[in-house]
Amino acid sequence: MDFSMEFSKNQEEFAQEVIEWLGENLPEGWVNQRDPDKITYEQWQKRRELARKLGAKGWLYPQYPKEYGGGGIDSSQAAVLAREFANRGLAFPPHYDSGTLAAPAILATGTDEQKKRFLPPILKGEAFTWQLFTEPEAGTDEANQQTNALRHTRENDFFIVNGQKIFVGSTFGPPDQFLLLTRSDLKAPRHENLAMFLAPANLPGITINPLDLFTSGLLSQINGPSADISPGRKNQVFFDDVKIHESYLIDGEHDGWRVTGATLAVEHGERDRGDVGKKEGGGRWISPNVLVEKFLDQCRNNPIVKESIKNNPQLVEALVDVYIDAQIMRLFSIRNAAGKGGRYGGPQLQLHTKMSGGRLITNMAKVLGPYVLTDDEEWGLEDDIFEVGQRAGLCFAPAGTPEASKIIISRGLGIGR
Amino acid sequence: MSLDLSLTESEEMLRKTALDFIKRDAPKSVVQKLQETDTGINSELWQTAANMGWLGIIIPEKYGGTNNSLTSAGVLFEALGSRPLPGPYFSSGILSSLILLEAGAEDQKTHFLASISRGEETLTLALTESGYSWEPEAVKTTARAENGDFILNGLKLFVHDAQASTYFIIPARTADGVNPVKSISLFLVSSKSKGVSVRRLPGFFAGRYFEVKLDSVMVSPKDVLGEINHGWQPLEHAIEKSIPVLCAYKVGGCQFVVDTAIEYSRTRIQFGQPIGRFQRVQDMIIEMVNHADAARWTTYEALWKLDTHRPAAESVHLAKVVSSEAYWEVCTLAHRVFSGISYSKEHPVSFHTRASRALYHYLGDPSYHRQRLAKVLVP
Repeated sequence: MDFSMEFSKNQEEFAQEVIEWLGENLPEGWVNQRDPDKITYEQWQKRRELARKLGAKGWLYPQYPKEYGGGGIDSSQAAVLAREFANRGLAFPPHYDSGTLAAPAILATGTDEQKKRFLPPILKGEAFTWQLFTEPEAGTDEANQQTNALRHTRENDFFIVNGQKIFVGSTFGPPDQFLLLTRSDLKAPRHENLAMFLAPANLPGITINPLDLFTSGLLSQINGPSADISPGRKNQVFFDDVKIHESYLIDGEHDGWRVTGATLAVEHGERDRGDVGKKEGGGRWISPNVLVEKFLDQCRNNPIVKESIKNNPQLVEALVDVYIDAQIMRLFSIRNAAGKGGRYGGPQLQLHTKMSGGRLITNMAKVLGPYVLTDDEEWGLEDDIFEVGQRAGLCFAPAGTPEASKIIISRGLGIGR
Repeated sequence: MSLDLSLTESEEMLRKTALDFIKRDAPKSVVQKLQETDTGINSELWQTAANMGWLGIIIPEKYGGTNNSLTSAGVLFEALGSRPLPGPYFSSGILSSLILLEAGAEDQKTHFLASISRGEETLTLALTESGYSWEPEAVKTTARAENGDFILNGLKLFVHDAQASTYFIIPARTADGVNPVKSISLFLVSSKSKGVSVRRLPGFFAGRYFEVKLDSVMVSPKDVLGEINHGWQPLEHAIEKSIPVLCAYKVGGCQFVVDTAIEYSRTRIQFGQPIGRFQRVQDMIIEMVNHADAARWTTYEALWKLDTHRPAAESVHLAKVVSSEAYWEVCTLAHRVFSGISYSKEHPVSFHTRASRALYHYLGDPSYHRQRLAKVLVP
């Protein structure tokens, strides 16, 4: 066995090329903002600008086929891109885009014509996409869609969409397009009654309302070198007699569940990152856990924290538990990257990340004290990573609850339905 | 990138051979009897293991071993742990051999390592005492110099594999110094020496623990292992290297119990359906799988670091914490999945439950290794 994550000579040579390119193309004045709530519109625009440049270069979705606008490069080079971005505190891709989830589904289920039409704008960073699946009555029960997309009685090549989506999108809208799951047939059986669209977001009858939620970003994103991949704030989207042409359908009008499955497989980590997920661009590079590293720094160097650890052996236990949880997370990631995750490794990592996230913020609050709860400039601990982490660690819902992960793991183990 | 978590061809072959051996030579019925014996072995099994080169798996060829990596030893012990096979395979073939390699003089290594490989001598470490601890401060046994020999007095408690062993490695105080690290020496003591008495402790751990009394035991200076007063450091190095191999034995146990529980939850019907369909059962199975996988990958990473001479202290403590807790918890959860039948002494899970308890404290329990880990992380 070889657990080494060191790069080869070829990879290091490619890294030089990436470093030079980044030196010339990184937008002036961008900052690494840990709290998605605090990212300004200008900062977000800088990330989109960088994404477009990367898209033109083929590095935004480096492993997708060139014919659809991807980079056509292998996972070893994609890993280099991921590392070099992380070294600069940038997420990769450098902005949040549900296209990361839409693209594999289109590639897996779209017709050739659809792939040629839908993929290049996403892969080149031109079209910004939101995934619109969740509804008030379709949370974990994703197939229970109430947003109707029914054929127009006279203009038969159009669908009329009515309904609402919730907990979707990101801080800055509107996007260019929606990956939109709908109910297209009121009589067909469950799972055969759905249609998926990749539809423009500026059609008449669409209303976007930002939600004021206290969580913002996933812990797995806070753990990374940057939070700017984070979806940030969430929204409600209302559809009021919105007319969508059938050419925006992905696959057939009763095949929406199949397309959803291909998306969720990636989102739930069901397939190994070395397989479908690698097309997200992460390759095989696993980022260091920044939150845990900064936590250990505090334990080593902050005199107040050092003193309380010295006086209270229970805190030593909590401190070590943070480390242990983080190491298991790292090793599950490495295992999955090495293709040894089997039929349940993806959702197992997702389950561990979320469950350990809950423990992590508890243990950090025990060891570091109430300082973790404030982002006050004077009393908050460095950056505001711990305060952001406290919220992020409660973010169990996005991409499926831990309970949903368990259902998928049970299937993988051959005991669940 | 060189990331590759596959076994090599020869490791894969070793794994298969060891699993075949377990199936053929050490079936459940044999092991059930062995765990009730004082030694945990019979001569056929022991000789087969010697012939396969497993008793000297990490011993260099020049001393009669097969000179394998610690990872290979891990692969072997994972297979042995799947039954779990009792006996001094680890304490003699791994731990004592590593202590000899770290501390032994050339003639000691030549004699003892070759004898260990052939299965003629069996050694075990007798470190812990009545104030149970793996720290040097807890060593109270004394070795007093007298007429050119040493006289050992003391009591060693919770010693593994004592009845099966022909020699004990005894850490004892040879100086009154305040620094215990500089006042402990290692002695090779024959189990037949006058003044040595061994008693098997009764209890819930399938005969793995013993008390060893040393009552004015005379030891010749040629049986001092390493430098006088400087025995602790090589002992500590050897223990560090051996721990992940012991962890691999637990990984094998975890994996067996998990696989058996999954199989059972697919086939056991209650309320008209396999119990694995119930989410409360699934919760337990998933927790078991998570424990087992965490134990596996922390263990193999530690083995890899040791084999490639990377700093390994963090990983070794981590593996010991995770695998000891995993083995214990996996067995506890298995009793909830299997319920009534698993309390039978014939049920394979009950073998593992007893082993998971017996090995929980061996070479330091999770709370001890948490403390050690904390010292590495936050010096």
